[in-house]
Amino acid sequence: MGTQVKDVIIKPDAPNTLLLDKHADYIAAYGSKKDDYEYTLSEYLRMSGIYWGLTVMDLMGQLSRMNREEIIEFIKSCQHDCGGISASIGHDPHLLYTLSAVQILSLYDSINVIDVEKVVDYVKGLQQEDGSFAGDKWGEIDTRFSFCAVATLALLGKLDEINMDKAVEFVLSCMNFDGGFGCRPDSESHAGQIYCCTGFLSITGQLHKVNADLLGWWLCERQLPSGGLNGRPEKLPDVCYSWWVLASLKIIGRIHWIDKAKLRSFILACQDEETGGFADRPGDMVSSLWSPSYKSLHMHKYFACCFTRSCHSSKRAYRSLQYILTSVLYFHPGGSFPHSVWCGWSVFAGR
Amino acid sequence: MHGRVKVKSTAQQEEEKRKEREKKLKAFVSARDAVLRKRSAGEHDEEALQLTQQLLSSNPDFATLWNYRREVLLQLETSREKDEVQKLYESELHFIEACLKVNPKSYGCWHHRSWVNTRLPQPDWTRELGLCDRCLSLDERNFHCWDYRRVVVKESGVSVEQELQFTDRLIGSNFSNYSSWHYRSTLLPQLHPQPAPDSASNTSPSPTASPQIHSHRVCEEQLLKEYELAHNAFFTDPNDQSAWFYYRWLLGRAEREEMISCVYVSRERERVSVAFSKPVHAQSEGLMLVLDGQPQQVEWRSTHPRLRHSPVWLCDLPPGSVSDISNEHNLTVHWTEKYTHRDCALYTGCAESWCRDSATDQELFRSELSVEKSSVLQAELQSCNQLLELEPQNKWCLLTIILLMRALDPLGHEKETLAHFQTLKEVDPMRSSYYSDLCSKFLIENTILKMEYAEVRVFSLSNKNLTTLCHLDQLLLVTHINLSSNQLLRLPPQFAMLQCLEVLEADDNAIESLEGLYHLPKLEEVSLRNNQICKLSDLESLASCTKLTRLDLRGNPVHKTANIDSELSQLLPLLCKSQAFVV
Repeated sequence: MGTQVKDVIIKPDAPNTLLLDKHADYIAAYGSKKDDYEYTLSEYLRMSGIYWGLTVMDLMGQLSRMNREEIIEFIKSCQHDCGGISASIGHDPHLLYTLSAVQILSLYDSINVIDVEKVVDYVKGLQQEDGSFAGDKWGEIDTRFSFCAVATLALLGKLDEINMDKAVEFVLSCMNFDGGFGCRPDSESHAGQIYCCTGFLSITGQLHKVNADLLGWWLCERQLPSGGLNGRPEKLPDVCYSWWVLASLKIIGRIHWIDKAKLRSFILACQDEETGGFADRPGDMVSSLWSPSYKSLHMHKYFACCFTRSCHSSKRAYRSLQYILTSVLYFHPGGSFPHSVWCGWSVFAGR
Repeated sequence: MHGRVKVKSTAQQEEEKRKEREKKLKAFVSARDAVLRKRSAGEHDEEALQLTQQLLSSNPDFATLWNYRREVLLQLETSREKDEVQKLYESELHFIEACLKVNPKSYGCWHHRSWVNTRLPQPDWTRELGLCDRCLSLDERNFHCWDYRRVVVKESGVSVEQELQFTDRLIGSNFSNYSSWHYRSTLLPQLHPQPAPDSASNTSPSPTASPQIHSHRVCEEQLLKEYELAHNAFFTDPNDQSAWFYYRWLLGRAEREEMISCVYVSRERERVSVAFSKPVHAQSEGLMLVLDGQPQQVEWRSTHPRLRHSPVWLCDLPPGSVSDISNEHNLTVHWTEKYTHRDCALYTGCAESWCRDSATDQELFRSELSVEKSSVLQAELQSCNQLLELEPQNKWCLLTIILLMRALDPLGHEKETLAHFQTLKEVDPMRSSYYSDLCSKFLIENTILKMEYAEVRVFSLSNKNLTTLCHLDQLLLVTHINLSSNQLLRLPPQFAMLQCLEVLEADDNAIESLEGLYHLPKLEEVSLRNNQICKLSDLESLASCTKLTRLDLRGNPVHKTANIDSELSQLLPLLCKSQAFVV
């Protein structure tokens, strides 16, 4: 008797070079098909989708293909009276989309088109007595939101507006037996949460509180024989974990514990040669044909392309991301922050 | 959509699908627009509930709709009696359950359910626990459900024992049970807390203390039972990784007592170096320096600007306060935040002095074991070795044997440990870098232990396949270090903690960065032959090592720089003024 390792097999005819142009075309065209089913159904996270798309286009040197003015106007119309920003027009404000909006505006060097003070008030107002952050006025608590809060304020240079000690105390209270982090105290470790918490601790200068050797081990054990990464033990690999896991490893200085070559071939195999884009894993569909119960937008998978080095144009992408991640590693609260630095960060949207 | 395999279909099938999607899209858009219109008009009525119900059933991630629904429910509450409100929210629970059947992993659904329970005049926690049981029986790894269960358990007063039994059942079912082991790790400290250490030491554990130490907030009796539980699991299925992860946690050591581990005083430099048991930010720790009974006004600084939190801190004594070698002095460093201190006597005729507990005394790398625990771990080691005979390629087993040997006798098992690491790299090549780094760490630990038995200040680890450096805070007193013939890539900022270093040999590595060779006050000789130092700027920090008289850079790319001699004399003027200078 023995448990089989949950994994996928990469077929010999899977793509093995980075199809950058196809991906760029895919993203450039994505928003234009407004009658597209998937596009409409993912409206609830539109702001994040735009952020992911823009970031990747920027990393590929093709940001100019996106409509800057339209996007900025869109963001302006998504800021509510309370200061918070929603995913799309007519939707309610939330920390997730407030961060995405601030990230986009930082990328475009246009942060002042929105009321920055009100954004800060909104974020501050969501901090709870135990230091945690609610996602919005309806009170869901999650370490993702701790990350959103400090990332937003860091970009705005306003980290001193919240109770930092309490915020740190809460995040640390979510550390588990395996060195990882979950949504709330006592929640199971998960790569997405680990990304948010290590990102949080990096921004707040508290990385020394992480057990890097233990957590690094847990993270490098996410790599499966196929070369892909899963999000926690005994789960299938998913290309989005290239981001969550790898970024976490980079933050704690253990990125070399992953087999780069094997991960690269896994990511390349996830590409859809016809439409462009990345599927969760080799052979899966990029876009949904059915009414999605799950999130249908896979924009965050595009970050995966940043980690490949298979052709010279992606080297630039990789170097940019290295710079980005290194900058964040050395970030000191209160210091200045180049706007392009946030290109590499994304928000863990609900599934 | 996650997990849907791409299948090529005929043109006709494509067209049919396209039409279907178009239809669905139209329906969605019209319903969505109707809902948002209603909301803008401020309508909070039954129709709003119906419309949102329709949409949320298949789009539970559309968060704004849950918000609207809550607004409607709150509005309806105001015009209803308690028993009607009860019914209203019970029916809401039915709706949520239907949504959960379609998508059991929607944050929006689970949060809404929690919210409903706060509005229900009489929540039924038994029913909620039943929902959790059913949900977990379908997917034992659904963390949304586990999180919800924790709330239900807390509200309904289910005992920790009952929940532990629940994990027993799930773990016994032999299938993807990491979530259960994790839950167990959080339950045990509540059930079997470690009795408090002597009250003479510091107060209650700090709220920011890492939960990893929970295993040592579990009393030993229970801990030993847990070894058996995990052992049984991985003996039943040696590839059940969850049990091995849990076991590693059980083998983990308690967090060290917070203390000052070393105080070093240099008369010549009139400087005090202090090593703490963990990284601190000196300015926030209430540090006080007392010299001959007099508190001193001093400024603490880290050994390197990149190390804002560091285990090692320095301060300068007032000029002339200890420079006369005929005087004896008594120095005390107080760590007021932790109610602890360390004394150091500087004797007549001595140029330097230090005070330090040995690594063993500090339980630096392993805890002292009780007789019972020691014998249990011996037995575990034996069993794991037997398992290894049956499964020689099992990496979990190999790693666990290494960890057991370290817990029992790190020096005695050194040879075996190295052999096992070699095997690990062969059977699990994707993680070779991890194993190399971990092996390096254990070799450094062993060398520190051996160094102390010999009471020397020479640290030698040449030709040991070292890929990384660590525990540099333990090398504060080291004067000579030999790291030659390894695979090191850098001397990191932490290397600046080697405040007593006089001679550095690091030939035949792959060193590119010398960041840590920074303000090392006693450093005289540096040999870095055959490394990867490429640019002159890589040598910048050496200018701060003012006693440097010998620097060997042969075999580095930088050595081929045009006019290397004159470039170096500009970069390191003090070095080049001396006679014994080799490039």
